[in-house]
Amino acid sequence: MAKDQVDVVIVGAGAAGSVYAAVLAESGKSVRVLEGGPPRRLDDLYSSQIWARRLKWATPHVAESGEHSVWPNFNSGAGFGGAAIHHYGVWPRLHEDDFKIHSRYGRARDWPIEYKDLQPYYDRVQEDVGISGDAEAEIWRPPGAAYPLPPVPVFPHGETLARGFAAMDMQVAPLPLAILTRPYKGRAACIYDGWCDAGCPTGALANPLVVYLPRATQAGAELQADSHVTRVLSNRQGDRVTGVEYADAAGELHELRAEVVVLAAFNIENVRLLLNSAGDKAPDGLANSSGLVGHYVMCHPSVMVFGLFDEELQNHMGVTAGQFLNQDKWQKNGQGEAFGSRQWAIAQAVKPNDFLGIAMSRADLFHKDLQRFMERAVKSMAVMTAITEDQPQRSNRIRLAERRDQYNMPLAHVHYTTSADGLLLWKDVAKDGKAVMAAAGAGEIWNGPQGGQHIMGGTVMGDDRQSSVTNAFAQTHDMENLFIGGTGVFPTSSAVNPTYTLHALALRSAEYMRDNWASLVR
Amino acid sequence: MALTQSRRSFLHDAGLGLLTFSLAGTQVLLTPRQARARSADLRVLDASEVGILEALGEVLVPGAAEAGIAHFVDQQLSVQPNDCLLMARYMNIEPPYADFYRAGLQAVDELARRLRDTPFPELDEVAAVDIVRGFSNSSPEGWQGPPAPLVYFLLRSDAVDVVYGTVEGFAKMNIPYMPHILPPRNW
Repeated sequence: MAKDQVDVVIVGAGAAGSVYAAVLAESGKSVRVLEGGPPRRLDDLYSSQIWARRLKWATPHVAESGEHSVWPNFNSGAGFGGAAIHHYGVWPRLHEDDFKIHSRYGRARDWPIEYKDLQPYYDRVQEDVGISGDAEAEIWRPPGAAYPLPPVPVFPHGETLARGFAAMDMQVAPLPLAILTRPYKGRAACIYDGWCDAGCPTGALANPLVVYLPRATQAGAELQADSHVTRVLSNRQGDRVTGVEYADAAGELHELRAEVVVLAAFNIENVRLLLNSAGDKAPDGLANSSGLVGHYVMCHPSVMVFGLFDEELQNHMGVTAGQFLNQDKWQKNGQGEAFGSRQWAIAQAVKPNDFLGIAMSRADLFHKDLQRFMERAVKSMAVMTAITEDQPQRSNRIRLAERRDQYNMPLAHVHYTTSADGLLLWKDVAKDGKAVMAAAGAGEIWNGPQGGQHIMGGTVMGDDRQSSVTNAFAQTHDMENLFIGGTGVFPTSSAVNPTYTLHALALRSAEYMRDNWASLVR
Repeated sequence: MALTQSRRSFLHDAGLGLLTFSLAGTQVLLTPRQARARSADLRVLDASEVGILEALGEVLVPGAAEAGIAHFVDQQLSVQPNDCLLMARYMNIEPPYADFYRAGLQAVDELARRLRDTPFPELDEVAAVDIVRGFSNSSPEGWQGPPAPLVYFLLRSDAVDVVYGTVEGFAKMNIPYMPHILPPRNW
């Protein structure tokens, strides 16, 4: 087995891993990023919904049980950029109350930080990345610097749906997006062609290939593709990690020694690695003295609401994420039976095919009925998408399956059932959405089935080592030189898209690591 | 983009080794529609399965057979799961995906034989539509195969892909394709 040595090894070249890599390489650390998927470049990103499927996870297979799916393939990514290479760039911030829902409402658990702790990092990340939006119009937004770029333009699709919200006495604001509306830091502005899901080869939609990975490599970080980490290695005492074992594309095993290990390989894979790294001193898996590694998995219940209009809407124009935001029903209690927040993203640019495409909006139609529907819908179908808050439940869990992959590593098994509150919110928000569509003047109105967006939890952060896996800096309680990147550390789900927050958390944690390096290294 | 078309074509063709079909022992790059028209060799599915798939595709989305649904699916089933472009990967179907397709196609054909005493590809249009409607929502009694609604959903998606999801499909619906990087060979 070949051996090697670096200061920091980062497992996963996605959103969180790229931030860690940039900060640590720029501080002079030797950094190696091991990515299990292929190397990707911007010119690999063909404008095609069919092609886009290769950006997502296919193997190793994830076994599932429970009443709902977390959509482990659709929500994930493989290769340089990870899931962020095909994400839609909806970047709202968590709200102040999201961090303290136990203290404020007696529900779930608190984060070990407050909004004010993360705000400076949100502000800095938005400058790095280039977020477009209108902070003043976003009346629900917590305090923070104004966006560096103006909002995306509004097309007839957005105008039409905004009228529906207005008729219902509901507010809309430009959707905050990690999409450039003007040239910014050497990157081109968006041309609003709706190919975001296929990956943005111009770099107008921020992804790791255009923001943090170039910074990392310019500072000397090495990106190594097709390197599948199989175990995190630890010392004899079991109190520190010493590196990782990985298989190369030929299946040959290697050992990479490191002072610090960052797991940023998506929460399912992070948990699989921790559990598969059990040893004499950690029989239940690394960093698992709490017994909570793998638990409290969450996923945002989502619903798409559709309407057919008489007029043409130019629904092919814009960005996949949408044009407007609504968070009027953010208040977590006192709005019906369910606890939790809700969010609408409004007027998504649509394509004819694929999972979120026009034809799939009416999956019940086929043959000539489908033909007739398509002829009309490609010009006049409107769509908006809500996500709602999911509550963490210990029973929702990632564990190791009996079966093994090609590296003899147990597969991951995810058990997930949406929380009762999440289900109630879903029903409520679907009803609201149809009312808005009607107010906007739609003729036929319908909603899609319950979907699931964004996988969170599994390695939750907290102050107490008995009830969480990491501390407020995503540093595991059990092993001070092992950090976790990504949404796995979220203790609660909120009802906003998580990518902005995971960037802010990664920046905060990476700088903590940088500034406390001497205490981490022995 | 600064890429030249030749470089793009090279990258795409290399990446989509997927679109390499065999014609009389020679490897050629074709669209699935062309592959069907030229009777390119099949790699995974047999003639019977292709017959069922084309007939079913045509019922799901008229035009799917001629658009090459069978050659598209067959070719995608022949590549590694991480390179596969079928919607099956989104639905967390466990590879190899060919197992799912074979079982699903066989179940559809058996349903037609049981209810109509006729192989699915030989049904008339009205009967074929009726059979599909019968398994689109739930698995009919005696159904032997993967969950029928999942078979319906995924094969319908494949048919939608080849008919509506291509440059040609967009053009037929008069939707601007507006690519950043045009996917050569329609995919």
